[in-house]
Amino acid sequence: MKFQIEKDVFQEALNQVQHVVSTRTTLPILSNVLIEADELGLQLSTTDLDVTITKRIAANVSETGTTTMPARRLASIVRELPVSEINFEVNADNAASVKAGPSFFKILGLPGSEFPTIGEFGEAKEFTIDQKLLKEALRKTSYAISTDETRYVLNGVNCLIGEGLLTLVATDGRRLAMVEQDLEFPAGNETAAIIPTKAVNELQRLLEDEGEMKVSLTDSQASFELNESHLITKLIEGNYPNFRQVIPGAANHRVTVERELFHNAVKRVSLLANEKTNSIKFAFEDNQLTISANSPEVGEAEEVIDVRYDGPRIVVAFNPEFVMAPLRNLDQDEVFIDLIDESSPGVIKIDEPFLYVIMPMRVAG
Amino acid sequence: MHSPYPLPTDKPLSQPNLTQIWSEASIEIRQALGNSNYDLWFANARLLEVSEGTAVLQTPGSMYSIWVEENFKESLVSIFQNYLEPLTGIRCESVEADDGQEVVQDEEPDKPVEVKPKVLIEKVSKSKLRERGLKSGLVEKYNFENFVVGENSDLAAAAARAVSEQPGKTYQPLFFHSACGLGKTHLLHAIGWESLRLRPKSKIIFVTAEEFANDYINAIHKNALVAFRKKYREADLLLIDDIQFLGRKDGFQKEFFHTFNSLSDRQCQIVLASDCPASEISELEDRLSSRFQWGLTAELHRPEFETRAAILRRKRDDWNMEVSDDLINAIVERVRGNVRVLEGALIRVAMVNTMNENTVETSDVPEILSDICGDSEAASVGIDEIKEAVCEHYDIELKVLIGKKRTARVAEARQVAMFLCRTMTDHSLVDVAASFGKDHGTVIYAVKKMRAKCEQSASLKSTVELIKRRLVRGGRVKSSQPKKFPADFPNRG
Repeated sequence: MKFQIEKDVFQEALNQVQHVVSTRTTLPILSNVLIEADELGLQLSTTDLDVTITKRIAANVSETGTTTMPARRLASIVRELPVSEINFEVNADNAASVKAGPSFFKILGLPGSEFPTIGEFGEAKEFTIDQKLLKEALRKTSYAISTDETRYVLNGVNCLIGEGLLTLVATDGRRLAMVEQDLEFPAGNETAAIIPTKAVNELQRLLEDEGEMKVSLTDSQASFELNESHLITKLIEGNYPNFRQVIPGAANHRVTVERELFHNAVKRVSLLANEKTNSIKFAFEDNQLTISANSPEVGEAEEVIDVRYDGPRIVVAFNPEFVMAPLRNLDQDEVFIDLIDESSPGVIKIDEPFLYVIMPMRVAG
Repeated sequence: MHSPYPLPTDKPLSQPNLTQIWSEASIEIRQALGNSNYDLWFANARLLEVSEGTAVLQTPGSMYSIWVEENFKESLVSIFQNYLEPLTGIRCESVEADDGQEVVQDEEPDKPVEVKPKVLIEKVSKSKLRERGLKSGLVEKYNFENFVVGENSDLAAAAARAVSEQPGKTYQPLFFHSACGLGKTHLLHAIGWESLRLRPKSKIIFVTAEEFANDYINAIHKNALVAFRKKYREADLLLIDDIQFLGRKDGFQKEFFHTFNSLSDRQCQIVLASDCPASEISELEDRLSSRFQWGLTAELHRPEFETRAAILRRKRDDWNMEVSDDLINAIVERVRGNVRVLEGALIRVAMVNTMNENTVETSDVPEILSDICGDSEAASVGIDEIKEAVCEHYDIELKVLIGKKRTARVAEARQVAMFLCRTMTDHSLVDVAASFGKDHGTVIYAVKKMRAKCEQSASLKSTVELIKRRLVRGGRVKSSQPKKFPADFPNRG
């Protein structure tokens, strides 16, 4: 195998696929990237047996072939190369010679035939979706995914497709994020899938702000084809609990607040959040929101911002990180905070079909 | 249905009254967490059970369960600690079928647990229960009502009762062992029926270890291991007969190990029956053997005279036979073997009696049963014969055997003799010890030592087997066939 490739192209592609490679793996071949060279260019693939990413890039191939190279090492070498033209040649023993200007590297790889093949994709439900739409939806929900491995069905984003809507949900038992998007989908093909965290993260890296993507879903796998990339993932097996159970009913009070301002204020006050309870207080009264933190033996913080609110005084405590997570991942200028009372779940909303349920903390006083 | 046992309703309260605790605790929860939280999260919840320091709350949905656990665990633990001590945790279970529909509260009646069985018994018709039981592999004729409890089996029977009433709590696993025909299988089935009666919805599986193994092979063959595992690992009560069959079969042991673990993690009751103690099942992995002995091990002994008589009287009534109590006593005196042999003897006597128009006398019984008695080791071999055979084999004199000499050869002979006396006769420890002029501790030690030695030494094991075979054979044909080593005779004192 022999090809010539531009450093930037190679580097970017390696960056996109290398995250799948797990650092601690029992199978050495899984640390490697599969490089397949044909007349049209290169195809790079990595897998951890759950998630597989394949990426096509242009290269000047003078001799076709297949090999695998340690993914992280190759990526760091390519990143450091001093010139933009890279000559890559692999001998029969899967040893690669990499020449770029004055530099020369010899990298030992493993045969391509040892690389696990991706299982056949069975009969699937297929649809196309706007890349930007999915990217936004994942961004607005994925931070709420549970990392508690004992609740494995919550270790991913739940996707529901039906009634002309794509619904994405993530929760960890203390907060819940949900997005609904219009989606044209052949009737009678309603389906649900739980996409695991790792695939969600990789997908977010691959998705761009333009173009469409083809999605195929089977009972156990999902495939996403976009641009020159292709991601296949196993789905989390099991039933996602009915999330609508924890979405509160009609709220008594609505606060309108400027997102950026609110986010920054919380960020500052949270620096002195009570370490034991990890909570800060939000007092809503008379078009003002007072955010305060009090940490015994450390100090206090307080910030007052203008909001739109004319109801009775409500004081409620939240985990500051849980408040900031949606604020960071939304773009809207204004967000609404819906409250029932001081101890019921609060809901952050925007003027689009999104909601974020957050449990208040119980703080004495 | 007349049962000699008190219904579970009569037994002392071992579970606290959950309904009452919940109604009191929920007031505290409302105060501590506020009305709105209470209405949202706890209005449709209830206290399901308390086990191992964990209170289990039932909520109407699995998402509720997760949120309640995540957000209120600490508060709930501190509230429930006032009622239940020692309490360390809270767990939630949901009743929903995962479609998120709220479950109608009436579906399962409110407990206290103490009342539950009664309510449910009325709900499911007998024929339905029977159908379910048969489907689970249970055999109808074996139930608690017709199990005769004697001194030989009272521990086993009580344990069986206990696990039917409180599966997965008291004894996990329950392990029965005995020689064949003493009621292990009967108890397994009885546990199955009783559990079904108390909890008609529970999933019960009765299999022999061989069926389990076959099922496993089939599953591998058909590539259906998932279904196999689902079947066994989702049971509420798993009854396995002849578990000794698992010995020497590594693959099944591994599969069974995982099944065992997943069931005991879910607190499902496992009941096993074997023809020898778990530690003696040959080539059983240590991890399994230790797990088998983890819960309660109950041995069924040979029934003593009164129990044997009671068993046969019941059989006679069940089968409507015309056999007098005297005749039964005569049978029981002759036949000391297992219950199957007893039943066979009864049938024989009843049959002869009918043919002779009820003229059979107790004195005729020995003749009628002459061949059956010979089949039973226990009836035909006595302490003296064992001693004789052992002396013969080791070529020592009887007075040496029961004397004080402790050379290696004599000590081994003595241990073998004691071991055989304990395993082949139903003489008590004290009897055996007395006949050797030793105390009973020596006999216990000897038996234990022999078991261990036989495991290690194949030659010793075969020696014991040889003497045993010679005894059994000799016992039956003593009069018609000379002993094998006539040359030894003059040596004997």
